Amino acid sequence: MRRRVVITGMGCITPLGYSVRETIDAQLQARSGVGPIHAFRAQSFPTKFAAQVKDFELKRFVADCKRWEDCGVNSQFAAVAAKEALEHAGLLNDTRVDRTRFGVYLGSGEGIQDFHNLMSLIYRAYRRETRQLDVADFERGALRDFHPGREAEQELHTTPAHLAAAFDLRGPNFNCLTACAASSQAIGEGGELIRHGDADLMLVGGAHSMIHPLGVTGFNRLTALSMRNDAPEKASRPFDLNRDGFVLGEGAGMLVLEELEHAKRRGANILAELTGYGSTADAFRVTDSHPDGRGAIACIEGALKDSRLNPSDIGYINAHGTSTQVNDSVESLAVKKAFGEPAYRVPVSSTKSMMGHLIAAAGAVELITCVDVLHRGVLPPTINYETPDPVCDLDYIPNEAREKRVEHALSNSFGFGGQNISLIVSRFSK
Amino acid sequence: MIASSRRIVITGIGIIGPLGTDAASFWRSLHEGRSGVRPIQTFDTSGLPVRFAGEVPDFDAKTFVEKKDRRGLKVMARTIQLAVAGAQRALDDSKVDKSKLDPTRFGVEFGAGLIASEISDLVDAACVSANCQPGRVDLEKWGEQGIPAIEPLWMLKYLPNMLACHVSILHDARGPNNSVTAGDVAGLLAMGEAYRILLRDQADFFLVGGAESKLNPLSMVRQCLFEHLSRRNDEPAKACRPFDRDRDGLVVGEGAAVFSVEELEHARRRDARIYGEIVGFGAAFDPTLSGDGLTRAIRAAFAEAGIAACDIDHINAHGLATRESDIWEARSLHDVFGASPPPALAVKSYLGNLGAGGSTTELAASLLALSEGRVPPTLNCENPDPECPISVLRGAGKSVERPYVLKVSFTQMGQCAALIVRKWN
Repeated sequence: MRRRVVITGMGCITPLGYSVRETIDAQLQARSGVGPIHAFRAQSFPTKFAAQVKDFELKRFVADCKRWEDCGVNSQFAAVAAKEALEHAGLLNDTRVDRTRFGVYLGSGEGIQDFHNLMSLIYRAYRRETRQLDVADFERGALRDFHPGREAEQELHTTPAHLAAAFDLRGPNFNCLTACAASSQAIGEGGELIRHGDADLMLVGGAHSMIHPLGVTGFNRLTALSMRNDAPEKASRPFDLNRDGFVLGEGAGMLVLEELEHAKRRGANILAELTGYGSTADAFRVTDSHPDGRGAIACIEGALKDSRLNPSDIGYINAHGTSTQVNDSVESLAVKKAFGEPAYRVPVSSTKSMMGHLIAAAGAVELITCVDVLHRGVLPPTINYETPDPVCDLDYIPNEAREKRVEHALSNSFGFGGQNISLIVSRFSK
Repeated sequence: MIASSRRIVITGIGIIGPLGTDAASFWRSLHEGRSGVRPIQTFDTSGLPVRFAGEVPDFDAKTFVEKKDRRGLKVMARTIQLAVAGAQRALDDSKVDKSKLDPTRFGVEFGAGLIASEISDLVDAACVSANCQPGRVDLEKWGEQGIPAIEPLWMLKYLPNMLACHVSILHDARGPNNSVTAGDVAGLLAMGEAYRILLRDQADFFLVGGAESKLNPLSMVRQCLFEHLSRRNDEPAKACRPFDRDRDGLVVGEGAAVFSVEELEHARRRDARIYGEIVGFGAAFDPTLSGDGLTRAIRAAFAEAGIAACDIDHINAHGLATRESDIWEARSLHDVFGASPPPALAVKSYLGNLGAGGSTTELAASLLALSEGRVPPTLNCENPDPECPISVLRGAGKSVERPYVLKVSFTQMGQCAALIVRKWN
């Protein structure tokens, strides 16, 4: 018999709120977290809006701010969400659990580049007369102007290391950055570490912000972002015929995974069971998902097989639903192919319509939404759904939350480059 | 631990590194005690305090991909190109017939790091957006003229998951695909995870490895800012001195090492050459850098392998060659092995620290040693540091006497991993 993995704590910070409760409440009220970018002057950018965490001040959440001082906002978001999740699980200062059996697996993003210094150093090192870069001049300037601590914090292993050190989590420590699938993959692989016996507890999830000049530049050049600058709140419209790209979000989502018997022994409050994990690659193109949804179908099927469930058992799907033309049509197709006829009876929504796309952190927050659905029996809507797209013909829970008792919920995450992850959470029963 | 009846073996090695672009030349250099650390050739280093590294000489990615796929190289940073080349070598070395692999049971996993943008990709945008204030950019101009001056696919060239993505696309690998981004330990964690995925029957064949190049002006500046680099500009080949009393810091290197890893019956059916069997993996975190985390990772790997310290032929050390790190590592190894430890080989002494590509490259040295029957020595450890209570393999090296190798790796923030490989008979 394999070891079972349950969820015993959750935390998040998102454009909709500073906690799980605030975030879910806003989702159920169909509120948008999208507005003009205030992190930097974006007035002349092709996209001038995003879904931002409002008025973020670390000291409101964390007593020991010193550790996080040089960190990017990604690690600071991670700290806030991790603290909430650990508190929720009753594990923040619990010395009875063996901390060497408590690991961390994040799908967390990079810190933020020192954009202004970098660009002005490159400009000053450029020699117009020879049309060449004076590389040595750049090097000398960068050594002088860059802040060593902040440069180090851009590295990708820093976030899970900070969490482990701050919260005394001494088990296996991983980070994977598989684009928009990252935190879902971290949850899946983190669960597998528990199943295999490498750990009894794992803090899993992700944190990310790409709402900075180079982030928006990169996505704008890929023509991936919505440019509905006249109506930002209407811009994220997954599955709607007139969708024109995704909306950048930011934040963090964290969950505590725990081996079932371990959770029972310490009398933990079991929120749900992680029953299914599927992981595949499209192996098609770096820029597009496979037009037939090849990888996504195999991924959803893999998660169903892992959970030993049938499509008709799934009561709710939290879609990847980015609001790009290609993702939403391919994902709808994949759900139909993987589910068969029951696809038309499963409500599907994209909470990115309200939160925007948290990139690496997206999947973790979306799985938190699924766990809440199992508890509350209310499904969050897809907002801005106005004009049906004939290619997207499922039930997308348009614009208003809906009551429904759900036993099992599925969450999809698909990454740029072709990684597909599906997770299934189930109402816990002995 | 959950027992599985499946056994996982390594059937192909692909190496692109400072000692050459194939496993044979890598082994020859180790055997002859030749260092791959030299003055940096690929860019102007005259503004840097450190001007040498373990650089891949004359790397030309075009020679590693089929003609129809060469256009794709333009959207690959050097790190990604190294990974793609290493994967091709690993696949070639395994002699697998790709048309007979089930694509849905073919996984890819890489250890990868942050990939810095080439500054030349940003020049046009930087120049049109400059204003007169040092350290500030005119964001108004950046939005209007800077953004259009950036290549459309610029961002994709530098995403750390693109190593595994490109490899999956080039070889139609549709199974699990992950990119572990965990600093210097990334490659070994990726090995451990792929091993587990194969054990749990979610794939039969994997390309798994690590790759990284920090040999560009921006990444090299960052490394210099972190201030733990050796400054021996006048004698590069002597600069990386793991566990030596006179070590003065790490040496930056670049490279990729990728393995074909597969389930034993799958390998047997196609009569594959087997380099070794993966038998144990462990990972842990060490919040105080006391060595305790590495000890726990090693003990977990021992437990999974069902072996004891006396079964180990040699330790393949992390051997970063900074003052603190080597002491920390040696104390941890001492805790595991006590007063008579097996000899330790520190491959970084030949090529420097290849970052996310380091641990798999180092492991490859031990795999080749197991098949050749001879373990090469650690270079530059002339006066072993008495503060490092281990037995560094020096002099002429040694012959292989016992069946198991322990590979360890960790980050300077505390992530630790250990992997145990068994010699194949």
